[in-house]
Amino acid sequence: MDTSRQVLVPIEDAFERAPCGLLTTATDGTILRVNATFCRWTGFAATDLLDKRRVQDLLTMGGKVFHQTHWAPLLQMQRSVAEVKLEIWHRDGHKVPMLINAVRHIEDGEEFDDFACMLVMDRHKYEQELLRVRQQAQRALAEKSIAEEALRSADRRKDEFVATIAHELRNPLAPIQAAARLFGLQNFSDPRLARSCKILDRQTRQLARLVDDLLDISRVAEGKLEVRLEQVDLTLVLRQASEGARGMLEAAGHTFIVDLPVQALYVDADPGRLIQIVENLLTNAAKYTPAGGTIRLSVTPDDQTATIAVRDTGIGIAEEDVASIFGIFTQLATGLPRAQGGLGIGLSLVRALTERHGGRVGVESEGVNKGSQFTVQLPLSLTQSANPLMSAISAVAATRVRRVLIVDDNEDAALSLATLLDIDGHEARTASTGAIALKLISSILPDVVVIDIGLPDMSGYDLARLARQTAGGSDMLLIALTGRSEIRDRQVAVDAGFQHFMTKPVNYDTLLGLLR
Amino acid sequence: MDTISLDLHGLRHDSTIMPDARANEETVGPSRLLHVSGRGQRTIVFAHGFGCDQNVWRLFAAELSSRYRTVLFDLVGSGNSDLALYDHGKYGSLDGYADDVLEIVASYAEAPVIYVGHSVSAMIGMLAAIKAPELFAANVMIGPSPSFINEGSYVGGFDRSDIEDLLETLDNNYLGWSSNMAPAIMGAPDQPELGAELTNSFCRTDPDIARHFAHVTFLADHRADLARVSTPTLIVQSNDDLLAPVAVGEYMRDRIRGSTLAIVENVGHCPHLSAPGRCLEVTEEFLQKRGL
Repeated sequence: MDTSRQVLVPIEDAFERAPCGLLTTATDGTILRVNATFCRWTGFAATDLLDKRRVQDLLTMGGKVFHQTHWAPLLQMQRSVAEVKLEIWHRDGHKVPMLINAVRHIEDGEEFDDFACMLVMDRHKYEQELLRVRQQAQRALAEKSIAEEALRSADRRKDEFVATIAHELRNPLAPIQAAARLFGLQNFSDPRLARSCKILDRQTRQLARLVDDLLDISRVAEGKLEVRLEQVDLTLVLRQASEGARGMLEAAGHTFIVDLPVQALYVDADPGRLIQIVENLLTNAAKYTPAGGTIRLSVTPDDQTATIAVRDTGIGIAEEDVASIFGIFTQLATGLPRAQGGLGIGLSLVRALTERHGGRVGVESEGVNKGSQFTVQLPLSLTQSANPLMSAISAVAATRVRRVLIVDDNEDAALSLATLLDIDGHEARTASTGAIALKLISSILPDVVVIDIGLPDMSGYDLARLARQTAGGSDMLLIALTGRSEIRDRQVAVDAGFQHFMTKPVNYDTLLGLLR
Repeated sequence: MDTISLDLHGLRHDSTIMPDARANEETVGPSRLLHVSGRGQRTIVFAHGFGCDQNVWRLFAAELSSRYRTVLFDLVGSGNSDLALYDHGKYGSLDGYADDVLEIVASYAEAPVIYVGHSVSAMIGMLAAIKAPELFAANVMIGPSPSFINEGSYVGGFDRSDIEDLLETLDNNYLGWSSNMAPAIMGAPDQPELGAELTNSFCRTDPDIARHFAHVTFLADHRADLARVSTPTLIVQSNDDLLAPVAVGEYMRDRIRGSTLAIVENVGHCPHLSAPGRCLEVTEEFLQKRGL
């Protein structure tokens, strides 16, 4: 020990050649002492620094500000700072990265700051690289969110387009359907005409269904899909749906088996939506089953749920497609040769509607060409007894002759509806503007006025208000007709004096029911 | 417009005069941590500058707490404030902070207040007083600058590239931090009397917030607002301050109607820390002249 201590250099030399830069400054930063290592690292002679420069003079501009805003107040408040990384100007004009610790102390009543500085060239490079990579990642993240927003915006525009196209297709459909119905009531002696009539009727129904689905899917996207729950007997609704679809299935050469339980199964559901669900499943089954197949509709209850199943003997589903089958615009590539068109929204709508009823959809297939089974599981109502208010869905014949005025600037739509009403024993007239309608109201004193909201000379709401003010106007039944079915539109219609609100295309049976 | 020139004569750091702030912690509005203490008819609200937190005022505020009620708070994003409240939109300009000041003044004082702000917070107080002059009896601005960037004949002291360099320096010193970790710069001070709550929060900043706040602070330009000030104003400037040179103080004095410029002899941007005696002297003289 003693010998080794003797060979140690004097402490002054140790200070000068310490493997770190050492400085002592006044509290204003003036350099009062500096070792050789710091001078070597920075290229300055000690005489250039002592009493001539302040430690902050050696910093870059950013470092100077950092010194003022962080370092100096810290040293003042807590009397030490550690691991500050700053760049020091070398005399040659290049920057030297250093890690700095500082301590403030008092000697004979005067305050001084001691600094230890360590050269961190490699660590600085490494940190620069880390910073660069982090900035890159941040930029990439920003670009990603911009791209995502662009996608969302494109998706919104697509939804808006789908909604617009559905509304636009719906308007001309109403008069076409009315005309088809009118032709259907005629007895054509030419069998070709009779057959064409049936084709016309079937195809317009199909078209109307597609447009309705399209409208519904756009409502799903907007979160506006309306479902009105009431307690209904599921077996009764399915029986109606199956009768509606039987013609289509048998026309395609399929055997259609309906297997429903004898007892009633009550669910809280929108009967119209239930029919839509089942029709979609049956249409889908027919579409993907080669002619001569078998399609079976069944319902199985358990304690809490009822499971509707549609099984077919069709082309089946490959395992990898099962997960995406309920997605929107999904159509199986393998099904294309047999596909009879369609929008690829049916199953997606089935899922949305089922989920709005608190239910679950499912699909099973043993593989390609081994058929498929689609299931819809719905919760059963808590009480399984008939609701006395439950309404039967059936066409209603006119029991009283009504004078009906149809106000619509689409004259085809108005005329075809009027013709249908005439055939059913009512007296119908038409008007294409609000002004003509008001004249007719005064002269023919109609019992019922059906008003299209979008008239050329005034709004349907204004016409309703004026109609109410005419002699006998307070007793008239006013029915609003619009292309949209927004809740707020309904409220405006009620405020204007309408008793009923119907969306186009008019469900003729419903209209007849209102006239009863 | 009078100028007071004083010699450097700092007060010694003495932890025993620090008020026991924790006894008076309060939460207001969007959960800002406030320290209220002192006795007096008049309330002084203190606002810290970029980089640190309300603890910079402890010495200064303690001296005034025998005659004034004092309110200390952290700007949102600094110190112990709730970082979740840092809304990049709201705090994208100093106006967002000015609205917070108005909220604090309205909640914590009945009569018009004396506002003491350092650096960027001096400007924040000025903006608040322009919005609601009836709430302010006086504005003491320590080391303020209406704009740090040189432009034409105006010498703010910095070029845009200097600000970029500052942001890089901040990044260098925040590298590897996580927001719940005390920064490396805290080191391990051999100062037991400082107390744990001070060492753990003073100068701690979330790196992203620090970066954004630095942008907002150093790129703000409120020169045009100086003419809109109607509150009696004292500008306290160090004779040697890189961030707020004397020329900037003179520029402000010439544009704020009826303002007073006091130059204190001090090196650095925090005269309230390194020359608190002189700062207090000029502040109290200014307040006494106005019967506050």
